[in-house]
Amino acid sequence: MEGDEYILKATDLHKSFGGGAAREHVLRGLDLRVRRGEFLAVMGPSGCGKSTLLHILGLMAGPNEGTIIIDGLDTTGLGERGRAELRREKIGFVFQRFNLISVLSGYDNIALSLRIRGLDSGGTDELLRAMGVADVARKKPSQMSIGQQQRLAVARAIAHKPDILLADEPTGSLDSDNAQTLLELLASANRQDGQTIVMITHSPAVAEVATRVVYMKDGRILDENP
Amino acid sequence: MVRLPLANILHHKVPSALSALGVAIGVCMMITLAGLARGSLGEVADRWEAVDADLIIYPSNWSDNITTISGGGMSDKDAEKIKNLAIGDNAAVEYVVPIYLHRISIAGAEHNVVGVRPGDLPRLLGKGGVADGGRVFDPDNTCARWLEKKLTTPSEKVVDISEADLASHGGLEMIIDSRLARASGLKVGDKVYSAARNFTIVGIVPAGAMVRAFIPLATAEHLFYGGTGRYTLLMVKLRRDARLGAVIEAVRKDKTLKAVSVNDYRGMLEDRFGIMYLFVDTVNTITLIVAFLFILVTLYTMVIQRRREIAILRSMGASRRFILREVLAESLILTSAGAAIGIALSPAAGAAIEAARPLLTVQITAQWMLTAAAAAVVGGSLAAIYPAWRAMNVDVAETLSLE
Repeated sequence: MEGDEYILKATDLHKSFGGGAAREHVLRGLDLRVRRGEFLAVMGPSGCGKSTLLHILGLMAGPNEGTIIIDGLDTTGLGERGRAELRREKIGFVFQRFNLISVLSGYDNIALSLRIRGLDSGGTDELLRAMGVADVARKKPSQMSIGQQQRLAVARAIAHKPDILLADEPTGSLDSDNAQTLLELLASANRQDGQTIVMITHSPAVAEVATRVVYMKDGRILDENP
Repeated sequence: MVRLPLANILHHKVPSALSALGVAIGVCMMITLAGLARGSLGEVADRWEAVDADLIIYPSNWSDNITTISGGGMSDKDAEKIKNLAIGDNAAVEYVVPIYLHRISIAGAEHNVVGVRPGDLPRLLGKGGVADGGRVFDPDNTCARWLEKKLTTPSEKVVDISEADLASHGGLEMIIDSRLARASGLKVGDKVYSAARNFTIVGIVPAGAMVRAFIPLATAEHLFYGGTGRYTLLMVKLRRDARLGAVIEAVRKDKTLKAVSVNDYRGMLEDRFGIMYLFVDTVNTITLIVAFLFILVTLYTMVIQRRREIAILRSMGASRRFILREVLAESLILTSAGAAIGIALSPAAGAAIEAARPLLTVQITAQWMLTAAAAAVVGGSLAAIYPAWRAMNVDVAETLSLE
C-alpha cells in the first residue's frame, strides 16, 4: 500500500438526494486523486457538493455510484463495520463547527477520541501544549474561546496520527487571527508529519496554504489551479 | 470507560435524577411489599411455631387447611382420646391444650381470639409471660366452674347469662399482645367492646404469642358455641420418645380426627394466602416496568437530543458496539444508582410501615434486595435496547450536515 502514489482515489462518484422530481444530483461523475502527503484544497461555490464529497471521502456516507480507494483498499461494498474501522485508523476530521463533545473537558475530548481508536491518552498533554490549549484543557468547550475550540478540534483530529485529515471549512467560524493560527497548525501537520490533508474552503486566501487547489462545480472537479 | 455516560448523566441532572428516583421507588416498593406480604404471614407462622406443642388435632371432616378453621368441632371426648393415645404400649402424649378459636373485632380490627384455660395459657405464649402490672384471666377457674354449673345443671327455663353476671365471675377478661396494645392504644384495666360484650384487659403479653388476644376457654365456648366442652383445635405436646409421624398416623386411624405438625401451619398459611404473593409480585412487576419505561423514555430523549454527539463519535470511527456500550452504561449507571437508593431506603420504609401499622410485619431480606438489584440490572439493560438501537443508526453525514 505504501508504494501507491495516491493515498485517496475517488472515481466516477455519483450522489443524489431525494426522489422523483425533487431528486437532486449533487455529485455527477466526480474523479479525484490525492497524493500521499499532499495538502489539497477543494474550492467551489456554495451548494456545489463540497461537503458531500468530504463526507463520502470520509466514509460517513456512501456514493450512489463510483469507487473510493483509501491507501490501496477499495471501500466499495464495505459494510458499516469496515467503514468505521477505516475512519478509526486512517482518517481524522475537522469540522467548521468544531463538533466537540460539549459535556467533556478538552482533555477528555481527545482521550475519548483515542479510546475509540483503542489508544491510550499518553502524549495528550504534549499535544495540547503544542496546540496552545493546555491551559484550558480541563475546561469544557463552552468555556473556551472560538479559536481555542477549533485548535482543540484539530488536536483531536490529529491525536491518533491519521493518514488523511479531512477539514470542512475549518476556518469558517474563525476571525482572521484565529484562522491564520489554525492554517499554520494544519500546514505544520502537513509539512512536519507528512499528513495528507483535504480541506474544503470557499476562501482563496485560505486555499493559498494548500500545495494544490482543485475547483468543484455542478458536482464535478473542474481542473487544477485554473 | 464510564466518563462519557457519567458526564452525560451529570449534564442532564433533572431527567437523570428523576429516572434514578423512578427506579429507586420501584426497587424500594419491590423489597418492601415483598417483605410486607411475606413478613406478615411469616410472623403469624412464627407465632404458631412458638407454641409449646408438636401437633395440631382437628376434626377429619373439616378443611385440611386449619388456618380456615373456627367453631367447636371437637369435644371433651376427643381431647381425652388424644391424651390417652399410645403407640404400642407407650403413652405418646405429654399434654393436650384444647383451644377455641374465633374471629372477633377488637378496637375496630378483626383478630383471631383464642379461648384457653388459664393454666394452659403459658404454653401458647412462646417465650413471653404476662407483663408486670397485669395478670392471667380467671386465675382460680372461678368463671369456668360457675359457667359449667350454670350450663350443665338441668333447668326448665332457658339459661340466661347476663353480661354483668359473666363479668362479675371474671369471664369477660382478655389478654392481648404488646403489638395489639400499641396499635389500639389499649392498656391493662381498659375496657374493650368485642363480641357484643365489654371485656376488660387484664394482662399484656410480649409479641410472639400464638394469637393477639386470649380469653377464658369457658367464655369462648359459651359466647361462640353456646355450651361447654367444645373445642376448635387440640394443641398436643408429645412425650420425648414419641415419634411425630407415628402419632399422626395413629390419629388418622381414628377416622374422626386428623393431625398435622405445628410446623405445617406455615405451609397452610402460604397455601391460603399465596394469591397475596401473586398480587404483590404482580404489583411489583408493574411498578418496575413503569420505572424502566421511564428510564427508556429518558434515555430515548437523551439520545434524540444527542444525535450530533453520537454522529461525532461515529465520525471518529466509534463502532455500533461502542455506541451500544455507552448507552447501556448510561442506563446501568442510572438503574444502579436508583437500585442502591431503593435498597438503602427499604429498611426505613419497612420501619415506617411498622411504626404506622404496628400489627404489620415487614421482613426486609437480603434475598429480596438481591432480587431487586438483579431486576434493576436486567430492566435497565432492556430499557436501553431501543434508545441504543436508535443511537447506533444515527445517519452521520446527515446529522453533521445540519449545522
